[in-house]
This record gives sequence, structure tokens and C-alpha cells, in this order.
Amino acid sequence: MREIVILGRGGQGAQTAGNQLARAYFDEGQYVQTFATYGGARRGTPVTSSLRVDEKPIRLRCNIEEASAMLCFDDSLLDETFLRGVEEGTTVVVNSRQPKEAFADLGNYTFVPVDGLDIAQKNDLGKVVNSALLGAFVAALDEPGIETMCEVIEQTAPAKQQQNIAACREAYQQIRDAN
Amino acid sequence: MNIAPNIDKPGNSNRLLLSGNHAVSWGAKLARPDVAPVYPITPQTPILERIAEFKRDGELDGELLTPESEHSAMSACIAASLTGGRVFTATSSQGLLLMHELLHYAAGARAAIVMVNVNRTPASPWGFWPDQLDSLAQRDTGWVQLYSETPQESLDSVIQAFRVAESLRIPTMISHDAFYVSHAVEPVEVPSQSLVDGYLPPYEPELRLDTEKGQSFGAPIDQATWNRSRREMAEAMSQVQDKVTEAGQAWGDLTGRSYGPLEHYRTEDAETVIVTMGSMCGTVREAVDALRDQGEAVGLLKVRLFRPLPVADLRSALAGVPRVMVLDRNYSPGMGGILHQELTSALYGLDKAPAVHGLLAGVGGVNVPASKIKQLVADYRDAEPSATSQWVE
Repeated sequence: MREIVILGRGGQGAQTAGNQLARAYFDEGQYVQTFATYGGARRGTPVTSSLRVDEKPIRLRCNIEEASAMLCFDDSLLDETFLRGVEEGTTVVVNSRQPKEAFADLGNYTFVPVDGLDIAQKNDLGKVVNSALLGAFVAALDEPGIETMCEVIEQTAPAKQQQNIAACREAYQQIRDAN
Repeated sequence: MNIAPNIDKPGNSNRLLLSGNHAVSWGAKLARPDVAPVYPITPQTPILERIAEFKRDGELDGELLTPESEHSAMSACIAASLTGGRVFTATSSQGLLLMHELLHYAAGARAAIVMVNVNRTPASPWGFWPDQLDSLAQRDTGWVQLYSETPQESLDSVIQAFRVAESLRIPTMISHDAFYVSHAVEPVEVPSQSLVDGYLPPYEPELRLDTEKGQSFGAPIDQATWNRSRREMAEAMSQVQDKVTEAGQAWGDLTGRSYGPLEHYRTEDAETVIVTMGSMCGTVREAVDALRDQGEAVGLLKVRLFRPLPVADLRSALAGVPRVMVLDRNYSPGMGGILHQELTSALYGLDKAPAVHGLLAGVGGVNVPASKIKQLVADYRDAEPSATSQWVE
């Protein structure tokens, strides 16, 4: 079973991204379970979206304690407290303008920074970074497939479907080229 | 966000990716309610929102009422039900507590309402976390209470609940835990409309409010008549367990998913049986499998029907079992865990009664992972049982 945590701030789209990622795995025939928890139920407070993926039905109904991958929407949230719930050595994709060396002190993880804001702005999406971050994430994890991810974005993005798909593909390619 | 395509494919079911709350909305829609009075509250609101979308899209014929409070929503439910309509509503926490007065009224008036409650911590302090105190505090109001473990079970239970409520004229409440069920998005089998139509007969009560007929309902009565109303409720309550069994089996015949008042999971020859309700059952199953793999005889007894409590079945299930651990995701101040209290009362005077440990696990939505449950089994293997519940976080 894969256990993925998406960390963001209320209003940034972490929950939407969790649902879209779940849908992509689901469309590829996997069992999924995703749920969001939020502290203050208001914009700006930290929110996490949790996703479990497995070949068989998922029975666990508790928080993810040792994530096998993380997607972080905001590098200012990335500290030891949140990383305590991430298994050592795993991939942490983070929305950031900083190079990966900037995160080295946070522990033994494979940090994959991606400038989601830059990609979003280039694709006429303003500050809406989720499609770019999902593209980077599926590139770093090598699953689910980028075509599946883009189909889900096309079906579920509330507006600007083609711009969202373009942002997803651009981030995907950027991470692929860099690694 | 609605990520499920809004389609009803041919065949008997259609697998959609739904949250527990949206699974409830689908169950409610398939039951074809005549009236759905609803009021929003976190974390129930997605149920209401999806029902409103069904109404907007012309997929729900029933009347959607949006009054100014949960108290008014329940008032409308009672009136609609007593005119002979099929009635659905949903709420959570503060909303359910605001309804409290009318929950008694609905049960006394024999209004066959089906309601989903999303279990959430009552204030104060303010929170949104899974805790079953809100619905357990309604245990004396005369409603049937079912607790659901999964989004699939919530959908299936809504449809079964109409069959139970309407056949016995008892309001029925299905509760599922905030977030772990309400907001958990999972694959859910959505049955076809024709399957549900075949399962659920139309509601045709013998007595109903009718503007053509002069009748008095709920009028002031003498002591003996009030007393008789409770005896009649007791008689109806005594039939609930069999009806829940029948409804769950008939559903299983159509869908392959059977349900009962209690579920036994690997309890054969168990030295320790864990008894709990709602979402925690899923995590307990994982812990039970891991412990069984290590040679430890542990099982789960899931209480799906809490009111009426299946006393005789609990007694026969637990007679001769050495140890029982009750996991209560609720706390009654000054008393302890409510399921613990109810279970020890149910087992009173039982020959070969188990040692019962009442554990306050997950109160306030505190996380209870499988590792914690395994640790508790080890911690309480040789412990002396206490009459009072223990905090274990």
C-alpha cells in the first residue's frame, strides 16, 4: 500500500489535488482512499490531504503516520514537525523557487522542488498551482501515468482545462528533464 | 468538488469514486424521498449540496426544503412523514443537538424519518473531529441507531433504513464518523434505480394526516395513554433487530453485500474480542489480521445496530470469551465510555461472562492507528478489569 500526504494551506487546492490524484489511480484500476483534515477550516491554515493506494480494498480508517511520498504546496510549511510523518528516504515534491540543496538540513529525503507558481503564471493560471504540482509529482513518483492525470484534470478542473493540462505537462517535463 | 461522473450506467451497479457523504446523497436519491428538509453544517454539508445538485438536474422528484435551522428542518420532517411522505434529512453535532427536542417528538409520533448524522465533537471547545457523543447522547429519544464503517455501508444503510423505519414506523438514524468516513473518497458501488425500486416498497402508512379527514394527532392525553404509547414503542422496538437482519440479508441477495445488527470478524476461539462501532472497525480489522498472523487469537465484534442494542446476541457472542476490550470514541463525563456502559449492562449476570476493559480510545477524534490497537491488546492481556472506563491516549 502506498500512503501519500499532500500538505498545503487552506484554499490552495491540496484537497482538490488529493481527489484528482486519487481519481487518476482509480482510473488505472487501483483501490484508493483519500480524505482531508483541516485545523481551522479557514483559508491560510495548514491542511493535509491523505491518500492511500492499494491493489486490494483499503480498510484502515486512521491518519497516515509514515507517508511513502509527500507533495507540499508551500515550502514555508516544510519543517521537522510535518516531516516526522514521512518515511525517511522517500520523495518530497515541494512547490518552491529554492534549489533542493536548501532543504538538505531537513533530513534524509529526496527533495524535488518545482516552481509551481512560475509554471501556473506562464500558463495563465495565476496562483492556482495544483495542476503543475500534480505534473511534477507524477513525474517524481513515476505513477500514475501522465496521460491519466491529464484526463482527470480535463474532466475535473472547474475552469481553464487546457491551461491546467499544459501546466501539468510542463511541470512533468521539467522534472523528467532534470532527473 | 464533485469528481464522480454523474451517470447511471445500465446494469445493477456502477462503481463511482465517492466520499462517504456523497455516497449518502446517492443512497437518499435512490430511495426516492418525497421530502428532504435540510440545513447545512460542517462536516455534513456535502450531503445536502449533492442532493441540491440532484434536484437542480431534475434527478430528484422530491421536494427540497431549506428552513432556517435544524430545529425547523426536523419539524418539517415530522409533518411530512405524518402526511405519509418518505422523508430524508442529514445533520451533525450541534445541528443534531438543536434537534433534540424534536427527536423525542418524531419517535413518539411514529414518524418514519431516515436521518444521517455525521459524528462530530460537540462544542465547547469548537471542533470538527470524529467523536460519537453527539448521536450517543440521543440514545433515549426512541430512534433506531445504526453506525456505519465505510462510504459503501453508508449508502447501503440509508436504503435499508427506509425499509426498517417505514415497516415499523420508527425514525432511524445512521451515523458515520467525520472525515474517516464522511470525507473519505473511495470506490463505491452505486446500485441501479430499478434494483432499489424493487427492494424498497412505497411507504403507505395506515394512518396519516389528511386535510380531507378531521383527526387529532399528538393531542394532550392522560397518563395511561402516554404510558401506552411507550409500550407500543417498546413493542415496535422489539421487532427492529429482526427487521434490520431481514433488510440486510435481502440487500445482500441483490447486491452481494449483506449486513446484520452485529458483525463477527475472526472471533472464532478468540481470547480477546474487540468491540467497537463506526470507522474504527476498519482499523481494528487490520490489527486483528496482524495479531492473528503472530498467533494471537483476537477478533472484532462490530456493533452496527446500537439502538435497540442486540442484548441477547451480544450475550451469546461473548459468553465464554476470556477478554473483551471495548473501544469508545466518546466520553460521557462522570461515567465513561457509553458503549462500555451499555455492554457491561447487557452482560449482567451472564454465566461465563468475559472480563471487560472499557477503553476511551479516539475521544475527540484523536488518531487510533492499528499499531495502537495492537499495543492495547498487549497492555490489557493480563490486566485486571475495572468497572470504569480507562483513558488510553
